[in-house]
This record gives sequence, structure tokens and C-alpha cells, in this order.
Amino acid sequence: MAEHFPQPVQQQLYSLNLGPQHPSTHGVLRVLLTLDGEYILKADPIIGYGHRGHEKMGENRTYLQFMPNSSRMDYLSGLLYNHGFCLAVEKLAGIDPPERAKYIRVICAELNRISSHLLWFGTFLMDLGAFTPFLYCFDDRENILDILDRVSGSRLTYSYCRFGGVARDVDEVFIDQTRAFIKRLRSRWPDYHNLVTKNIIFIHRVRDVGIIDKDLARRFGVTGPNLRAAGVPFDMRKVEPYEVYDRFDFEIPTGTKGDALDRYRVRLEEMEQSCRIIEQALDQLPGGAYRQERVRLKLTPPRGDVYFAFESARGQTAYYLVSDGSPYPYRVHVRVPSFGNLHCLTEVLRETLVADTIAILGSIDIVVPEIDR
Amino acid sequence: MGYWKDIVLGGWSLIEGMKVTGRALFKPVVTVQYPRKRLEMSPAYRGHIEFKIFPETGTHGCIACGTCQRVCPSNVIKVQGVKAHARSGKIATHYVIDFTRCSLCGLCVESCPTQTLKFSTEFELAGDSRWDGVVDLVLRMEESRS
Repeated sequence: MAEHFPQPVQQQLYSLNLGPQHPSTHGVLRVLLTLDGEYILKADPIIGYGHRGHEKMGENRTYLQFMPNSSRMDYLSGLLYNHGFCLAVEKLAGIDPPERAKYIRVICAELNRISSHLLWFGTFLMDLGAFTPFLYCFDDRENILDILDRVSGSRLTYSYCRFGGVARDVDEVFIDQTRAFIKRLRSRWPDYHNLVTKNIIFIHRVRDVGIIDKDLARRFGVTGPNLRAAGVPFDMRKVEPYEVYDRFDFEIPTGTKGDALDRYRVRLEEMEQSCRIIEQALDQLPGGAYRQERVRLKLTPPRGDVYFAFESARGQTAYYLVSDGSPYPYRVHVRVPSFGNLHCLTEVLRETLVADTIAILGSIDIVVPEIDR
Repeated sequence: MGYWKDIVLGGWSLIEGMKVTGRALFKPVVTVQYPRKRLEMSPAYRGHIEFKIFPETGTHGCIACGTCQRVCPSNVIKVQGVKAHARSGKIATHYVIDFTRCSLCGLCVESCPTQTLKFSTEFELAGDSRWDGVVDLVLRMEESRS
């Protein structure tokens, strides 16, 4: 692209640090850009500014004590991380939670996925310069936070799942609130589409921008909505159904090109699919115990290791746990989706404009504390 | 052709957007004027922990067993107790929690064998120093009763 412009007499390249404290980098991410005028020749994402040592902390805490840490790794979808960690430990220790607990977990996890996508929707558009949708999204997201606050007692760092169940039972009010929320969210879609999807400025900013195709996605290990936007229907909930996801009827939305507009569409459609899962789960919600008795607080799983992958809001997330038979895990490792999603930036950003950097960075939905765990 | 089409389409999407924004003018506001108006707290709200007072004894039921102390992931609880006489169980004399480092996971409440811990619904917490976050629950309970 750059060769279409007349070459300057003396070519001057310069570096620009985007971040680490820029609001549109969504956390402490630094992207070192080498620029030729407005064009990017090279982009290096530099991470590690917020390292907190969660994996190491896992080694000197019991399995249950690590639960609050798991929701702090990704602060936008804490419950999904709780859920995944819980399932990993249950697989390691051979615990089978009651049916009701499985359904409650799925409902809450999907609610959390919607809330994460709603926040992405708001911040992405704010990166592009639109402020109104941000407020609309936070209004909707507030409803989810109220529902989850009522059931788990916290608005952001839930730590709601327990080995063999959930911490608290849900009641009729929860079911009514959730149904009302889904109805409300569906009534908001026309607004969102009129305000954003049909907006010509938005389309011009995101169409054919930041194309992550199948090949690139495969090379960098891109997962989640970013991979699905490239046209690969890969979703851990369908590929390796965990929990009770195989009992629900839902689709995996895919894009065609893998540009920012496709990623936007896929996430919007995913919220609708999550709504469908929640509705079906609420209809099928069985009675009975919400938590298995006789699971000790100081759980001692047998020796061995387990790798458990699940679908968080940003893609395939996995826990790798090694147990030496003591109450403390020998090793905790987390495979985070944002790492692969972020690092394809080096390829994607080449020969694009600085303004597109913000659009691309926003559209791939990274959470930096998840990478710097 | 493209130029005029862009202007017409751009104008139309502007009008569509303004319609959505305009409708919001006539909807009730979603924000709350906080100090004057308050929202109802969630019954499950996890604030800092407090002693439950049992009506039959008129006091807490903490036996200073130290389960909460051991289960706490952040190591912020210190509990001490004494035996009234040789054969009796312990009764807590000091229950100190450093709330500034608490991660509000609620494991202490879940693990308590006598179920004497509960979450308070206080959320407007402020202090001048770090020591303001360090509370002795036994002292606090006695102050609230007197």
C-alpha cells in the first residue's frame, strides 16, 4: 500500500509506543509500532506489565482456595473461568455434581458470556469513537450483574462454582429475572442494529479491516469468536461437549472473511445463541440438590494430571492440573485464548493505518490480565 | 454515483441512529442519584464477615476452632480463644480480620462448623489508615450490643 504514495526524499521511520496505558489497549498492553508516516511497517505487542503469578499461587493454595483467583484472571468472564476450573478439578477427582447444579452453572456461565460480549460491544464502539452504544450496553449488562449479584453475592469476581455443585441455590425470582432479561435483550437488538450495524461510519471503519483468515488463525492458535469469524465452526461446547451442553439446541455462528465486521457479527449472534441456551436450560431445570454433600473442603484428588479445555468468552481456555495426591496442586497451568488472539497482531497490522490498529485491537477482544496472569 | 449514494446512505443512517437516541429521551432514566437514592442490596451480598448473634444464647457461637483461619486463601483471619474451665470447649476472645487484604471469597462462612459467621451488607467502607480495615469481630459485636 505504501508504495502508492510518493517516496519522501529521506525516508524516516519512527517508532510509536501505543500503550501501555492507552485506554484503547484494554489494559496494560504496549504495542511498539514502527511507522512510515501513517502506515505501520512493523507491530510488536509487548506484554508482561501486570504479571501477578496466579499459576504460582495455585501451587501453594488448596484446590478450593484457588477458586477466587480463577475469577480474577479474566475479570470480564469470571464465572466461566470458575466453571472451567471446577470442571477440571472434578474430572481430576472424579466428582459428579447433581443435575440441578450442572444446569445452574450453565445458565450462569452463559449469562456471564453475554455480559462479557456486551462489554466488548460497548468498548469496541467506544474505541471507534461512538459513545452512545457504550451506555446502552452497560444498561443491559447491569441487568445481568444484578441477576448474578443476587445469586452469587458478587458483581464481578463471582467464585460461585464449588466442587460438586454451586455455592448457593437459585430460586423462582432468579428464573423470572433471567427470563425478563432475555426478553429485554431481544427487544434491544433492533436498537443496536439501527444504531450500529447499519451505521455507515461504523461499516467503513471495520469492513475489510484486520483480516484474520483461516491460515493465519491456525498458525497463531487463534480461537473463539475470532476463529469462527474466519469461517471455522470450532467451539468447545460443540466439539467436545462438557457439562450439559450436548442437550441444548444451538448453532455456532460463523463469518466468511474474518475481518472486523465478521467478528462483530459473530459475537452479536453468539449472544443470541447464549440466550437460546439459557432459555432451554431454564425450561429443563430439574429439582433436587444443588450441591453434592461429602465433598471435603480440603480435597485430595488422586495422583495424576488433567487437561480440561472449555469455551470462555474469548475462546478455548484450558486448565492443566498436576496432582501429587496432596491437598495442594503440584502444578497449575492455564491456556488463555487472548494470548494467541493478540499475537496474530504482528501479521495483521502490517501495512495498515494507525487508526485501524485501534479498530483491530478492539475487534479481537483481548483482556490483558488474562495473558499476564 | 458513489459519492451521492454515500451521502444519502450516510444521511439515512444518521437519521436512524438519531431515532434510537431520540426514543431514549422519553424512557425513564436508568441511573440512580446515589447518596439521595439507594438501590436495594442483594440478600447474598458478600461484604466483610460478621458474627451472627444466636437468640438462644445471646452471643456468638464461635468456638475458636480455626477452620476459617486455615481455609482462608489470603491468610487474613486470626482467631484466639480460651477455655472457661478444663472440660469445656473454647470460646473466642479475639477474632481479627484484616479486611483490606480479604478477597471476599466467602470460604470462611461456608466452612464454619457452628455457622456463626455471616456476611454484612456494609458497602460504604472508608478509612484514614490501613488499620481501619483491621477489625476485631468480638469487640465489634460487643460494641453493637451495648
